[in-house]
Amino acid sequence: MLKKLKDIVRKSSIHVCIVNCGGCNGCDVELVALLSPRYDLEQYGIYVHNNPREADVLLVTGAVTEQWRDNLRRIYAKTPEPKIVVAVGNCPQSGDVFAQEGGRVLAPVSDFIPVDAAIPGCPPRPSEILEAVLTVAPGALAAKGRAQDARKD
Amino acid sequence: MILPIGPIHPGLKEPLRLKLQTQGEKVIKAEIDYGYVHRGIEKIMEGKTWQKCIYLSERICGICSYEHTQTFAETLETISGVRAPLRAQYLRVITNELDRIQSHLLANSTFFKTLDHETLFMHVLALREYAMDSLELLTGNRVNLGWNVVGGVRMDADERHFNAILENLKKIEDGFDRHIALFEEAPIVALRAKGVGVMTKEEAIKGHAVGPIGRASGLKHDLREEHYTYKDEFDFKPIWRKEGDNYARTLNRFYEVEQSIDLVKQAIENMPKGDIRTPVDIPSGYGEWRNEAPRGEVRYMAETNGDLIKHISIRTPSIMNIDSCAKYMLKDVATVADAVATYASSDPCIACTERVAITDIDTGKSAVKDFFEVK
Repeated sequence: MLKKLKDIVRKSSIHVCIVNCGGCNGCDVELVALLSPRYDLEQYGIYVHNNPREADVLLVTGAVTEQWRDNLRRIYAKTPEPKIVVAVGNCPQSGDVFAQEGGRVLAPVSDFIPVDAAIPGCPPRPSEILEAVLTVAPGALAAKGRAQDARKD
Repeated sequence: MILPIGPIHPGLKEPLRLKLQTQGEKVIKAEIDYGYVHRGIEKIMEGKTWQKCIYLSERICGICSYEHTQTFAETLETISGVRAPLRAQYLRVITNELDRIQSHLLANSTFFKTLDHETLFMHVLALREYAMDSLELLTGNRVNLGWNVVGGVRMDADERHFNAILENLKKIEDGFDRHIALFEEAPIVALRAKGVGVMTKEEAIKGHAVGPIGRASGLKHDLREEHYTYKDEFDFKPIWRKEGDNYARTLNRFYEVEQSIDLVKQAIENMPKGDIRTPVDIPSGYGEWRNEAPRGEVRYMAETNGDLIKHISIRTPSIMNIDSCAKYMLKDVATVADAVATYASSDPCIACTERVAITDIDTGKSAVKDFFEVK
């Protein structure tokens, strides 16, 4: 009974933290656009708090820069279980245009923290981000939560 | 007591650390830590052709991405001594002003968010979507447009595009007066914004504030006045205010949006016919160009070696604005909550401000230098 209740709660209240680890902030702008009445992220039970300590989902944008080498792992460690990481845009996956000779980026993000889902695009459209988060987040969070509970038992 | 805010913080969009020195609730001094998003774009550009560099220049900053490509293209056009055809110049003005509309509306909505005024935040963000629609219609993309090339623009637009843009602008205009009145006359919002984070004209000059932040403090300076297209073809006067507080900065941006709508209308009305692109041969040489981005002056200095970029140096407005924000605006703010709002009202954009600091290990002195100064 309690486990079912936990499942429902985890699926319908997702707290999101946006971590910009060194991109052009185009993706961050599109994430802000998600808050606008046209897309209205909050009607799906997703709240953007930008506080890693109370987040369920980390939305990582940007190719990893020198300063984020340790900070990214620290932020991931601070986020409570169960948690998932969604990489938004091309940068966290490949470094995009910055992964060239002379660039100071350490992409991909998956070298530093485990990534559950990736949305390609430079930047992806808000509707694509919304669709990806809604497809991945509730199920993955519930599954991870169940696995965590099983370990405790 | 020193209160650190960031790099990940509910009030900030982008990573940056604000260190506020506080006495009780009052902020006495502020310090800013940069360096979280330095990617080394200037270095990557060296030795590449402009076709590759123009994509990189677009990805300096996602919010004012358009103005960077235009300035880059115009820098190389000055080196080769050609100008884009008149129709391309008009199309550039339309895109530039649409980009300014969305950037200013985003900045203001972020400011309202930090004031915890959700209603205005939502309304203004909803209006911004119409500007994004117009940009997408015209160029095919929402944020990184890929629309400029050296010598013109990539695609032509016709009557259908213009009519749809005018329709979208009408939707923005319809709600606009009501939203300005909501901000201008509502006592609670005005209380949180009036007289907070004041920067006088002298301080703005000392801190090199540019763009709407400088204009809200009484600096009547807008680079669009000096740009050849605006000077010759458009009826344009900069908008400025005297107060220099959060209220003035926000209102200044609101009125600039109105002005941008007017400029787009002028451009669509007088749109000339003709080519949209001229072939350009880029010789070896040095050139520089300055433009008015949504946040202020963008300056590109480039040295070319034939088709290749030899060196490039980019100066973006946010670095001066954030600096003057830390030095003068945050100096005597009454509460920490107001300090975050003041910071948001200076419209910071971190992605374009990042530079390498060169530190002399023997003396411990560090300085931010660009290539042309070092030489």
